[in-house]
Amino acid sequence: MLKKRIIPKFLLNNGSLVKYKSFFNDKRMAGNPVSTAKIYNDYGADEFIILDIVPSDESKSKVLEIIKTISEEVFMPLTVGGGIKSLEDINLLLRAGADKIVINSQAVINPNFVNEAAKTFGDQCITISIDYAQIKDGVHRVFINGGRDRTKHNPIDWALKMQDSFCGEVLLTSIERDGNMNGYDLKMIKELDSKLDIPLVISGGCGGIQHCVDALNAGASALAISSLFLFTDHSPIKLRSHLYSNGVNVRASKNSRN
Amino acid sequence: MGSYKSPLAPPSINKNWWVVDLIMKSVSIIDYGKGNVRSVYNALDYIGVDSVVTKDHAEINNCSHIILPGVGAYGDAMSSIRAYGLDEVLNEQVIKRGKPFLGVCVGMQVLSSVGFEHGEHKGLGWVDAKVTKLEKGPECLKIPHMGWNQINLCSKHPIFRGFSDEMLVFYFVHSFFMQINESEKILASCNYGINFTAGIAWDNIIATQFHPEKSQDAGIELLKNFVNWAP
Repeated sequence: MLKKRIIPKFLLNNGSLVKYKSFFNDKRMAGNPVSTAKIYNDYGADEFIILDIVPSDESKSKVLEIIKTISEEVFMPLTVGGGIKSLEDINLLLRAGADKIVINSQAVINPNFVNEAAKTFGDQCITISIDYAQIKDGVHRVFINGGRDRTKHNPIDWALKMQDSFCGEVLLTSIERDGNMNGYDLKMIKELDSKLDIPLVISGGCGGIQHCVDALNAGASALAISSLFLFTDHSPIKLRSHLYSNGVNVRASKNSRN
Repeated sequence: MGSYKSPLAPPSINKNWWVVDLIMKSVSIIDYGKGNVRSVYNALDYIGVDSVVTKDHAEINNCSHIILPGVGAYGDAMSSIRAYGLDEVLNEQVIKRGKPFLGVCVGMQVLSSVGFEHGEHKGLGWVDAKVTKLEKGPECLKIPHMGWNQINLCSKHPIFRGFSDEMLVFYFVHSFFMQINESEKILASCNYGINFTAGIAWDNIIATQFHPEKSQDAGIELLKNFVNWAP
């Protein structure tokens, strides 16, 4: 059986690791992305998601350098994004060592972009990232440009539309829950997973092991986690062994494999 | 936890990846099409083996081992392999001269006779098989098959030397799979709603649907076994 994935998520601001709450509040510096990636590699994470949250020309070249360095020593899938606007952006990241590319705002701005990228680099290479928030009771909307601009799209319809444009995977982030560590949006996960044919990676709200178990039971294929790993004594290895011993279908931890 | 070992005891091969026989090993990683071939190079570099990413015929002729990485779609892969004349080089070096060969992902799929990814394409035809799309099953499985999955070995092979069952978990990412008619060539299978072929091997050839270069310690171990393999 396919294992559920545990994915540390790194947010980069001009090359350094940062973490906010709900995208804009309580900025905290969280260290060096390269050394943190190496540590999580030794902890046996399943994959990395690395997002440049304030993309600029300068930060893009820093990200390329970071991906290059990480891919020399970390042998697992690297999913990279932030400010992806052209096929050339994708090509540069893939050549630097990325395996999957995250597209967010550009998919809204240019509706053909995801399709074009999937055709050029393969469906499995393109992850669509959806940031959403509840604007009034029961009404959710997709936000772009790092959560700044509201669009007219509902996250579920938008995800299904992107699936029809041949993206390989959806990364779903709840803006309200991001960094607040009080649990994933289970209702949204259940609803989207039941309609989606491609894997669903969820992000935003993880604050403990039970949150992870609930989200995986709700149908998520993978968990993207940052606060839990950066600011608590939980690590990928600890989370994995807890999930494994609770009967969740994850890879066995490195110690028990050797 | 491991038991105490005297510092004078000889190191065990499996637990010490740096103990590899490095004499006269050089690997050609075949360069064709778009995508990430760097990770294969990085993984070999990590275990201390000389490798070169190349489509140069002379370089391929001079190496001891050949890796065909997985890049892009079946049709694109085959047309660039033909365009660079790599099919003839591979036939000469692998089939006639018996150099150890590892195909990864699409690099395994193109060994088949025919592939049906975006149209019908002729493959290298080293194995009587066809490559078709994974269909969404009754258990509502997601396509692409993306992530870590357990494989089951159908026969013993030196490439899995020192692997425990729990280590046989590798990273997959694919929407197409190989349906093989020569069952004696199946090395490993994997379950994703259906049982499909995760690895094939015969003579000096081995190929995997999963990505060893992305499979952490298990993948590193497999690559190390490959460069030490003398079929």
